[in-house]
Amino acid sequence: MNNTSKNTKILSFLRSSSVPILFIIICAVCIPLSGLSANMLFNEITTRMGRNAFLILSLLIPIMAGMGLNFGMTLGAMAGEIALILVSDWQIVGIPGMVLAMILSVPFSILLGLFCGKILNMAKGREMITSYIISYFINGVYLLVVLYMMGSVIPIKHSTIKLPRGYGIRNTVSLLNMRQKLDNLIPLKLNIPGVGIVKIPVMTFIIIAILCLVIVWFRRTKLGQDMRAVGQDMEVARDAGINVERTRIISIVISTVLAGFGMIIYLQNMGNIATYSSHSQIGMFCIAALLVGGASVDKASIGNVFLGVILFHTMFIVAPKAGAAITGDSMIGEYFRVFVSYAVITIALVMYETQKRKAKSQEGAMLAAAQDEGEEEKDS
Amino acid sequence: MKNKRKIIFRIIALALIIAVAACMFVIGRGHTVYFDNKELTGPDGTVYEPWYQIEVLVNGERVARLAEGDRGMVSTMGQDFKFEVKLTKQKGGKMQGGTIGVKLPYSIDGIIYNLPAMLAGAEESVYMEEFIPDPIEEETEDVVVTDEFAMPSEE
Amino acid sequence: MQKEKSWFGKLVENYGLPRMIITLFLLLLLVLCPFVGADLPTQISNIIARFSWNGILVLAMVPMVHSGCGLNFGLPLGIISGLLGATLSIEFGFTGPLSFLAAIAIATPFALIFGTGYGWLLNRIKGGEMMIATYVGFSSVSLMCMMWLILPYHSPNMVWGLSGKGLRTTITLEGYYNQVLANFLKIKIGNFVIPTGSLLFFALLALCIWAFLHTKTGTAMTAVGSNPVFARAAGINVDRIRLLSVIMSTWLAAIGILVYEQGFGFIQLYMAPFYMALPAVSAILIGGATVNKATILNVIIGTILFQGIVTMTPTVMNNIIHTDMSEVIRIIASNGMILYALTRKTEGSK
Repeated sequence: MNNTSKNTKILSFLRSSSVPILFIIICAVCIPLSGLSANMLFNEITTRMGRNAFLILSLLIPIMAGMGLNFGMTLGAMAGEIALILVSDWQIVGIPGMVLAMILSVPFSILLGLFCGKILNMAKGREMITSYIISYFINGVYLLVVLYMMGSVIPIKHSTIKLPRGYGIRNTVSLLNMRQKLDNLIPLKLNIPGVGIVKIPVMTFIIIAILCLVIVWFRRTKLGQDMRAVGQDMEVARDAGINVERTRIISIVISTVLAGFGMIIYLQNMGNIATYSSHSQIGMFCIAALLVGGASVDKASIGNVFLGVILFHTMFIVAPKAGAAITGDSMIGEYFRVFVSYAVITIALVMYETQKRKAKSQEGAMLAAAQDEGEEEKDS
Repeated sequence: MKNKRKIIFRIIALALIIAVAACMFVIGRGHTVYFDNKELTGPDGTVYEPWYQIEVLVNGERVARLAEGDRGMVSTMGQDFKFEVKLTKQKGGKMQGGTIGVKLPYSIDGIIYNLPAMLAGAEESVYMEEFIPDPIEEETEDVVVTDEFAMPSEE
Repeated sequence: MQKEKSWFGKLVENYGLPRMIITLFLLLLLVLCPFVGADLPTQISNIIARFSWNGILVLAMVPMVHSGCGLNFGLPLGIISGLLGATLSIEFGFTGPLSFLAAIAIATPFALIFGTGYGWLLNRIKGGEMMIATYVGFSSVSLMCMMWLILPYHSPNMVWGLSGKGLRTTITLEGYYNQVLANFLKIKIGNFVIPTGSLLFFALLALCIWAFLHTKTGTAMTAVGSNPVFARAAGINVDRIRLLSVIMSTWLAAIGILVYEQGFGFIQLYMAPFYMALPAVSAILIGGATVNKATILNVIIGTILFQGIVTMTPTVMNNIIHTDMSEVIRIIASNGMILYALTRKTEGSK
């Protein structure tokens, strides 16, 4: 008895961590093939950790509330971008510029989050596909604002960010005077033996750590507990007197606001905004990274975030080089990493749905056994 | 009672955030400062001769070394701008130095300072000028790409 | 007056408010057309042409919606079968109209295989079809991106000229099956053109689907979609029916893309199939379909409305306000429509 339970434990562990293990194998194969030096790899990964971790952390709260992977985080990213465009037109630079952009992004994020949450409440049971379509819908609104209203309705002064036709924003907006200001606020270069000098974006990591603590704290608050209850079972939570709709909306709003902050951190590291494409891929990559870290649609921890960033981005860095080394064509590696991102999400979704179904059918069987007679009566 | 306190607390928090934002507006305003080492004729006819060489240092870091007729630039944040100059009158001559503090006008993005005039103690209106960027040549209309599925451009 | 209002209210209710707005918008565009100096016959021909390109792709939604698998966001999978058929047909040296038939013949087994796998997967994840369908589509497209580079194609009309391997992103169909259906019995009166062949082909397939839905298996499919519990109780093999519907959808998508290509004149590879699911989904929704109910009429109305807006807005808008906002309007309208459909309460979809 004891032995079998141990076996099933190991099996369930293997199943739940199959994606990370697969990725460790992919990375282990690709790293030597790519021919990248340890120094470069470490530097890239620390940079990407600082760049992406905040964004990925923003996904945790809706998962807690049982709303699945929030593809609507793109909304927050757009809010962050709009704030950054305005701030860069006002020529507020450096850290103050970032702080201002964050403050400015909050009202946008809240509005978008409320919208998203309201819609998701109308589409219970298919939150993910709905949030996915919302991100496209709002992208249309974003285009309307940025491409047509900025410069005509919303004043934009500088011709460096305006399209030559007089309104609309250029394809790229430079954030040169904000570039890596946060990362370099506390400069630190670690000399790791065998690896060499690795640059650490200390301040960014501190902010990420603070967010982690906040999330841990939030889980214990009344609201956090409510969210978990809603995530477990909406009906039970409703019976317990929790305002389910409100709780769900709040979780989406928080996620959107955090995604907005995350996008600002991300873009300050990149040093420019690709106005029309920065946000479009971000949701996909963040979700893929989180899943690679071993999270599932209904369960994700902070550990998943960091493991995910490391594994996913290692793959991301080495795949093109490794692909080029194997096939002589760098495009294959490029396509490979896109394929892997999508495939990981697909696998995770399939695993989640099959498990959900299994649990449901077990529950159903138990219910049916218990209420066999009553059921029959009802049917006739 | 408790509700009232909550509202007051929220208002205070909101006010605080707005105050921070306002603060950021002031301290975070970025300017580009241009230094000229060029001959300048003032409105009263005074001619300010350029120096043989001027070095400009901000926070101990050299940002420009200007020969006669040169222009240098530095990006800066906030309105209080301090910089150090090291001057050479003629080739091989002795170096003089000093620190200068200026108040940058909030509303101007790019500010040109004519150093010879400034050092000679001319009026601010004489040595300061707004930098007006050349209109960017009408490049072929920036094609806006809005497709959602372009290849990732993370690099 | 009151009577008229209630009649109007009923109409709105039946027709759906968003669809009403879109129809009125299209009518407005058509009315405006002569005033802004656009040629009405050309515009209408354009709409008809685009309808003939896209109709079958939209039709491919119908079987899956009927069997309760939801909107087929996995359309790219079927499209890939079609692309394989198209490229292999050229690779094997077929030319002219024959290449079209060969493409259909080659695409069919691929569609059957992919459809079976896809259907098997969807049967295991009932309830979460749409999201997974989306990502199955994405994964397959990105996998094929690699395949187009790796697979040993040699036809000089398709591979990159320099390296001699790897397919190009767009392949012209000149000399193959370009306009092969459209030119069949084509009617041309001045600027007004009707691609009769394409329309007939669409009509044929639509008729087949319509007829199929009235067979025993077809009604079983509808039963599975509207009430799976009842269907199972009636002795219908739900999984088998669903599988069949997915295979049909996939095959229709494969044929759909071939028809699209013959009208468009090019094969588009790599990331191109990515774009194709959402327009088809929103077209059928604009036509009045819901997540679990769709008719052939929905397909026809939806495709005309959607393609009408896509073709008309750029011309009219450009002439009125001298900016091309059609892209934004298309994105907002089509995704708004999908959102509207997703938030409707649906009965019997458990």
